[in-house]
Amino acid sequence: MLTLPISLNLAEQRELSSRLEKRQMNEFMTTFTGLVQTCFDDCINDFTSKATTPREQGCVSKCFEKQMKATERLGERFQEQNAALQAEQFGK
Amino acid sequence: MSFLFGGGRPQPSSAEKIAAAEAEIMLVQEMFHKSVASCKKKCVPNDYREAELNKAESVCLDRCMAKFIEVNMQISDKLKQNAPGGGGGGMFGV
Repeated sequence: MLTLPISLNLAEQRELSSRLEKRQMNEFMTTFTGLVQTCFDDCINDFTSKATTPREQGCVSKCFEKQMKATERLGERFQEQNAALQAEQFGK
Repeated sequence: MSFLFGGGRPQPSSAEKIAAAEAEIMLVQEMFHKSVASCKKKCVPNDYREAELNKAESVCLDRCMAKFIEVNMQISDKLKQNAPGGGGGGMFGV
């Protein structure tokens, strides 16, 4: 993660971690609702019945897997590039 | 040395330092979210024939992230040039 060289002592680091932990639940909820919306929008377009069809369920399950994999892959690239940038900027 | 608190100003308090670090992390996180949204939209077709990412989609995602970060840098540099008294370390004009 790219960070500015803000130096925190141990107590400050703990306070920061506890704040970030509190945000983590929110973060998870955002991921969850975002996935539901994406897969709903992409897979469910027919409203001639109120139950999802097997086809729609299949689409949702592929959508979920693929979305997770895409996020994971992007996360890896993001980390790598950030690490490289950080080394470039602050490592000298 | 931090560009936020440089220049002979008084030392930041603990609370200020924590807030600054938190803001920085939130900024990086938001940038990540935006890049994920954009790159998925551009690289992952929404018909979901396969649950796996294929080769083309994977390469697209990799390049998309690289470009997103590049654009981020480019705009952040421009913003810094425009902001008087800005400059110093960090990639964002916060």
